[in-house]
Formats: sequence, structure tokens, C-alpha cells
Amino acid sequence: MSEKLTVEQQYKKYPPLWPRYVIEFIGVLLIIYLTNDTLTFSKINEKGWLIARSAFTGLLKPNWNLVFDTSSVGLGNMLLETLAIAFLGTVIGTIFAIPLAFLCSRNIAPKWVNGICLTLVSFIRAFPSFMYAIMFVKAVGTGAFAGVLTMAIGSIGMLAKLIVEAIEDLNPGIIEALDAAGCSAFEKIRFGIIPQLSSNIVSTVVYRLDINVKNATVLGLVGAGGIGASLIQAIGRGDWGSTSSMLLGLIVMVLILEYFSTRMRKKLATGE
Amino acid sequence: MLEDIIHIFFPRTYTLSNGKEVKEKFNYTPYVTIAVIIITYAALKFCKVDIGYFIRRFDKFAEIVKAMIPPNWSFWSEVKKPMIDTIVMSVLGTAFGCALALPLSFYLSNNFHFNKYYMAFHRGLLSVLRTLPTMVYASLLSVVIGSGALAGTIAIAIFTYTIAVKMLYEQIETIDMGPYEAMESTGAKRVQCMIDTAYPQVRGFFWSTVLYCFETNVRSAAILGYVGAGGIGVIINAQLSWRNYANAGLILFVLVLTVVAIETASRMIRRKLVQG
Repeated sequence: MSEKLTVEQQYKKYPPLWPRYVIEFIGVLLIIYLTNDTLTFSKINEKGWLIARSAFTGLLKPNWNLVFDTSSVGLGNMLLETLAIAFLGTVIGTIFAIPLAFLCSRNIAPKWVNGICLTLVSFIRAFPSFMYAIMFVKAVGTGAFAGVLTMAIGSIGMLAKLIVEAIEDLNPGIIEALDAAGCSAFEKIRFGIIPQLSSNIVSTVVYRLDINVKNATVLGLVGAGGIGASLIQAIGRGDWGSTSSMLLGLIVMVLILEYFSTRMRKKLATGE
Repeated sequence: MLEDIIHIFFPRTYTLSNGKEVKEKFNYTPYVTIAVIIITYAALKFCKVDIGYFIRRFDKFAEIVKAMIPPNWSFWSEVKKPMIDTIVMSVLGTAFGCALALPLSFYLSNNFHFNKYYMAFHRGLLSVLRTLPTMVYASLLSVVIGSGALAGTIAIAIFTYTIAVKMLYEQIETIDMGPYEAMESTGAKRVQCMIDTAYPQVRGFFWSTVLYCFETNVRSAAILGYVGAGGIGVIINAQLSWRNYANAGLILFVLVLTVVAIETASRMIRRKLVQG
């Protein structure tokens, strides 16, 4: 530190930059190569431009008949079904996830139970949810029921993982204090464990509900209920008015839900 | 007993010996619980959920699973190309989306004081676009620019862009502005200041975001073939509609293996990146 360095000497002490440049250069080359190799631009033609133009003008003119249609093919009914699938999926998923999470926690269950349950959770999580949807559709037929089952299975993984984190953060001191005060097992759970966990679990569940509503759109694709099927069909036959009103309904529903879920989770986290 | 139950909903009021009234604390929980039960019941009726039917038909479910095991290994030659396509689609979509998101996220974070009104507008637009899943973009694009990997790639890029920008600007807003101000006071341009003082503070987070997006995109890219946007979804759809469950089993096996391998690798790298 005693000797004074000139700017050039100080710069020379820095690690050389060229390895980074080489890696970046190779990365860019790879992306250009992959673009050339996989993507074909030949399908873009005049017709596509026409479709794009009619789609754009069509999307600006929503089909209001569909929006105010209260029958079973109306927008309100489809959105309600999507919401109901997501809600039920979350509820059923939570019912399964909470006991599973207790069995996965290192401070509750013995090690071998932990191992089995964690493997089970990662096994469930590994399969993409649309595969479950396909199998459930084959088993119980198309409709909202298959969607509910898919949502429930798809939710278990993430819910269990987040609830395990909450359980492993439990403060044992509180339970010991209740023990010292002579509380029964039930009282220990009611006043020692539930208050520590409830806000965390509710926050996780609300977050998952938010995600499930977004995912429920995709399920319709394989016939598992919700708005997805009608949306894809409308896009496929170029019915831009209906597409527009469905997208509008979907966006409004998700935004409202997101707003409330964010507010609620903020309140649960900060207690305000 | 009955009184106790009633008092769960209507908090008691105690009168102390000095005539002061003390109210029990009001609690939402019982009301919320009842509301959840009622909504669940209504939704069960609405979705026509019948667990008994599912249990009776469970052998059908087991039949499909049984037909998938063992997978038809000789089908591998047909699975290879779509699987690589799926990965390439997610790599390219992630690369384009994140490359676009990085500069824009600096523009949209409120600690550099760019145009406030444009920022609010762009952020609002992004939160609207974020509500739609990749699949909707893919189906719109496959109608407009023809089915194939290009539609899927652009759809993934749009979705990646909308989530990556949000994650990045939230991180950029927490950086230490000291070095930035110091460099600005030497007379450097704002862009130079951002590249040399702000970007190094979020570099690790940026790469971790890229990997996270890649992880989620591989998962969602698998289904894009259903709407004609290329990748492995096309052959899954075909094999399932032909009831070729042994082939579908192999596709599923390869898909799960790839997704798990990519997720494990990316988690490991991300942990390194965050810890430095």
C-alpha cells in the first residue's frame, strides 16, 4: 500500500477481460447458428400480413354479445368456471399438501419419513401438469372435473415446499414455554403452532391461487374445462371479436385477483 | 356450549367492577372459514365434481399408466429432433427476451429518473401482458406467421420479456446509488455510468433471472406444440390421439428427464451466482 501506483499499473493488476469477451462471442455465435438452424422464416408471407391486420382491427372490436351472454357458453360462465377450477384445485391441493408438508419437515418427522415424502413431492412435481390433465381427461372425460384434479395435483408440489419452509422455521421456544405452563397437546397446537404458521400458509395458498387461475387457461387446451378451449378455437377460426372479448375478460379477472392477492399477502406479511 | 359457539361470531363484552366495558378482540377467521366452505361447496356443484366417479374410473387411469410402462425405446429416433427443437426454442426465446429486458429494465426503474409517465405506461402494459400465458401468444402467432418453431420462440420471448423486466427493475431499484453518483460527477455519460456502476451490482441476479426463465420456459415450451408452435407437444398430441401409449411413455420419460436435469443444473448454478 505504501508505494504509489500509476493508473496504468493499477489497471494491469486487474484480471484480464479477454476470457469474458471470448465467452460472449461464442454465445452470440451459438445463438445465430441456432436461429439459422431451427427457425424458418419462409412461412411469413403476404397472407400473414393480411391476417395480422384483420386480427389487429378485430381485437379492437370485442364481441359484446358474448360478454353479456349469461347462458352456459357466455363469457361470464366460462370465467366463473375457470375461477372455480382454480379455487377447488387450490383447496384440494392444500388439504393434501399440509399433512405432507408436516411429514417432510426435519423438525417434526423422523428422517426416513422425510426422505420418502420429499421423494414423493419431487416425483409429483417432475411431470408437467398438462400430462396429468391428459390422463385425467382420459379417465373422467372432458370437463371441469378433470381440470380440478389436475390443478390439485399440480398445486401439491409448490405448496408443500413452501409450507415445509414455514414449519422448519417454527420457534420451539414458544412450545416449550406452553409445555412449562402445563398446556395439553391440543392447547400447544392451538396456541403455539397454528398462530406461527397460519399467516404463512394463507399467504402461500393465496399466491398459489393466483398462479392456478393463470394456469387454468392452459388446461382448456386438452379438454380439462375453463376458458382455454373456447379461446383457442376462436383464435383458430379467426373469430377475432370473440377472441378479443375473452382475452379482455381474462385480463380483467387476473388483474383484479392479482391486486387483491398482493394486498392480502402484504397485509399478512407486515400485519398492517 | 351453544353460547360459546355464538360468541365465536359475536365477541363478548365484559363489564368490569368499576363499570368499564371491555370488548373481546374481533376475529375474521370464523367468517372467512365459513365463506371458504360455502364457496367450495358451490364450486363443487358448479364443476360437477364427483370423487366416487373418479374412484370408479381409476382403473382407466391406471390402464394408461400401465400402457406407458415400459416405454417403446425404439421410438427414440423420432423423439430426438422435437425434443432438441423444444430446448432450442426455449434457449432462443429466453435469450431474445432477456436481451431485450436488460436495457429496458434500467429505463423502467425509478432510480434513474427517466420519463415518469412513459414508465407508468410501460409498466402497466407489461402487467397486462403478463396475465396471458405463453400458450395464448403462441396460438395467436401461429395463426399469423404460420405454425412452426418461430411462433413458439417469439411467444416465449414475449413472455420472458414481461416477467424478466419486472424481476430486474425491482432488483435495480435496491442497488447502491453511491458509485453511480460518483461516476456521474466525473462527467461520464449516464449510459456509461449504468454499464460500469449499476450493471455490475445486478450482474449475478441478471444471470440467475436468465436461468430461472429458461427453467420455466422449458416446462411451458413442451405444451406449445398443441397449438402448432413446434416442439415436443406436436408428437405427444399425435401419439396420444392414436392411443400409442408406449410411445407417449417414452416422450414423457425423455421430457421429464430433460426438465429435471435442466432444473437441477440451473438451481446449482443459481445458488453459486447468488452466493458469489
